[in-house]
Formats: sequence, structure tokens, C-alpha cells
Amino acid sequence: MPPFQRWRCRNCGLVYDEALGLPDEGLAPGTRFADIPEDWYCPDCGSEKSDFELIET
Amino acid sequence: MTTPPAPPRVPAELAAAVVDPHAYAQRERVDTALARLRADLPLGLAEIEGSDPFWVVTRHADIKEIERQADVFHNGDKSTFYTTRDSNARVQMLTGGEPNLIRSLVSLDGKEHKDLRGVVFPHVTPRAIKPMEEAIRAIARDFVSQMLSAGNEVDFAAEVAFLYPLRVIMTVLGVPAEDEPFMLKLTQELFSNADPELNRARAALSPEELLKSLWETTMELEGYFKAVTEKFRANPTQHINSLIANATINGEYLNHRQMMGYYIIAATAGHDTTSNTVAGAMWALAERPALLGQLRADPALINAFVEESIRWEVPVKHFMRSAVADVEIGGQTIRAGDWLMLNYQSANRDEAVWADPFDFRIDRKDNPQLAFGYGVHVCLGQHLARMEMRILWEELLPHLTAIEMAGPGERTISNFVCGPKHVPIRFKAA
Repeated sequence: MPPFQRWRCRNCGLVYDEALGLPDEGLAPGTRFADIPEDWYCPDCGSEKSDFELIET
Repeated sequence: MTTPPAPPRVPAELAAAVVDPHAYAQRERVDTALARLRADLPLGLAEIEGSDPFWVVTRHADIKEIERQADVFHNGDKSTFYTTRDSNARVQMLTGGEPNLIRSLVSLDGKEHKDLRGVVFPHVTPRAIKPMEEAIRAIARDFVSQMLSAGNEVDFAAEVAFLYPLRVIMTVLGVPAEDEPFMLKLTQELFSNADPELNRARAALSPEELLKSLWETTMELEGYFKAVTEKFRANPTQHINSLIANATINGEYLNHRQMMGYYIIAATAGHDTTSNTVAGAMWALAERPALLGQLRADPALINAFVEESIRWEVPVKHFMRSAVADVEIGGQTIRAGDWLMLNYQSANRDEAVWADPFDFRIDRKDNPQLAFGYGVHVCLGQHLARMEMRILWEELLPHLTAIEMAGPGERTISNFVCGPKHVPIRFKAA
């Protein structure tokens, strides 16, 4: 299994960590960013999924 | 036992400049002071007679880090904007012990902030505002038409930039057009109270008189919005003011201060910030003749133009935060209880992020400007603001072949929410 990745919203800095998911938003721990529906948006600022950038490790 | 080193002190003349409303009106003065601080003391303690000491945070990275840690750096424990001890004492007397005259989203923390933000947030996401695009475009066309038919000279700030975002936000809120002059006047009284041309008294005021006039403006706004609540509870709509009037948290309507704070922030910050940015963008255009040609030749550049104008104008000059724990930021130890000024004008001129921060450029590959803030307090209306600015330029620029300043521009005297108040231009219509 490839390692989990982290993604950051360009507009507000919210970090989506695949390992943790966002349970309050209905995204279970382990949910890959690629598996999040395309119409999902940042729960803090409303930016679209395409506004998230991969955090390089 | 060793004594911790004393925090580095901001030189008195630089501390004075970062809080002086006149320094922001003469932009170079505050930019020079902030550039010196970024170079020599990017995070230092300012001690100004009559005020509590506060850290001046000037670097982009430090401001982002503080905003990211919203659980450690609170908005509402102390005044959310710079104030003196005397003014703060009077505010506490008027509000029954609160540090801010208005209890709005920008001065709330934690669950209360999250709950209140959630009332409007789903209605201002990019997807939610997309259906408004045509209605906003119609408003933009009206203003473009008025401007073009009134001759070839206009004070773009007063005639277009102040009025177009006002019409947009009032439409979204559900405020009738005939109330727009009232809302503009009270917004200017609130945000421009240090400027004798725009404040309530139309005069230079002492700190005590300024606070009294702010309180009178707030009370007048509350009187107006009391009727708004009654109207929208009787006949709910999808307008933002109706959402605020009818919102419940744990089965209860918002309390008086929460509701009034929400109405006031939406009705004032919802247009004044965009107005300042639009006015500043036109000023930048008028001083750079090649820019208009570039934008006309390739309208896809308008998004970059909007983003650069937000970086350039940075209409909210600062917000204050207070630490609730000891924490290290930018090599300094911030103690629990410390008060900090996040200077967004400085963040958006940070040489560590932009190699040429004092150039207005629309070809930047990355433009991580912080004018909307960052983290959970990032501007609620940022997507609407960007959309309405893009639409205005899409509608206006094809009609113009040349723009130049027709006289000196002038900035509002304020250290908080401000920008150009006069941008006289001369233009050639296509």
C-alpha cells in the first residue's frame, strides 16, 4: 500500500491528511484524496478540491 | 536560574508609524517602516504610551503560522484591532466587559466562531455563488454604462469602486437599493473614523470623541437591523440577512450581540474591502499604461490582475491576536497573554516571498497573498469578492483604450480597513 499523503488548501491552509480523514465531514480515516468526490469543497473556506496542493514530504 | 532575555523592542519611530492612520494614507511611509522591520526586527515588541505593549508581526511566514494556530492565538480575548488603554476601558464599560464594541466573526473563537460561521458559509462557497454570476454581471454593466456616459473623467473610487460592491452585497443580503446610501455612510463612519472627510462628525476627533461616534454609528446600525430581523422572521427568504435572522444554534436564535455583529460585519466588511481593492487596482492600471493593453489582449489575465490587486491593496491592514499559551514564533518566545499585531500590508510586501514586492505584476506564477487572512478565520466572502472583481473588469476593460490619472489619488486616513478614497482618472472609450 503506498504511504498516505497530506494535501493543503491553498486559500486557508486546511490540511487533509489521508491517514486521519475528516470524520466530521464524512471522510473516514484512510480515505485517499483521489477518492474524495470532485464536488467536495474545503470545510473551512469553501475552496474546491482542485485548490488543494500536495504537501511534499 | 537564568532570566529569560527581554523581548527585542521596536524602535519608537517605527512603532509609531505602524499604528499611525496618516502613515497608511501616505503608503510609502508605512511601507518604509515595515520594510525596515522585516529586515532588522521582523518580530519585536512595540511599546507605545497609552497602549498595552504588542508584538508587531511583519513576516508572511510568521503571520501564517499564527493564523494556523487559532487555538493558541485568539481573536476575541483582547481587542481585535489596535486600540489604546483608555478606549479599551470605555469599550468594556459600554459592552459589559467585552473587549470589542461589535461581537462579530472576526472577534470570536472556538465553537462560537465555528457555529456562527456555519450559518452563512454554505451560501458563499464558489459553487453556491456561481448562480449569482449573471445578476452580478448585470449590476457591473449598469455601473460601466453610467461611467462611460458621464464623460471621460471620473473619480473612480467615489463613483464606481465604492458603489458597485455595495450594490452587489446589498443584493445578496436582501437590503433594498434605497438603503444603500445609508449603509455606505455608516460603513465609512465605522472604518474611516480617523478621517475627517468620511467620519460621522466630518471633523478631526479626539480618541474619546472617536469612540463616542463609533458607538453612535453602531447604535444606528442596530436600530436598522432590528427592523431587518422582524421583516425576515415574518417572511424568510434565501438572502443572507434572512439566514442570520432565522439562524438557530442548539434550538435558540442568535443572541442580540451575535446577530447584530453578524449583520454589521456582513453589511460593512462585505463591500468596503472590495471597494478599496477595486479602487487600488484602477489606480495601478492608470499608472501603468501597458497593463490595460495586456488585459484587453488576453482577458484570461484578469484573474491574475485581481489576485495581484488584492496583494497590492491589502485592504485590511491589520488584525490583533492574543496568545493563550507560551509559544515560539519566528525565533521569539511569545508568552500567554501577549497581544500581537498581524500586519497584512507587511506580509504582502515580504521580500522572502516576492522578489519584487513593490512592483505590480500580473505574471506572477504563484501569489500567496494574505489579504484574506489564513486558517479558520480566512475571509468568509473571499470567493464572492474575487468573482465580483473579475466580473467588473471583464465588463469594463473592453470599453477602455487608455486610462491615466487626472489628478493626485488620495488614501483614507486609517490604520485598519482602508484604501484609496479618490482615484481621479481620465479615459478614452473604445
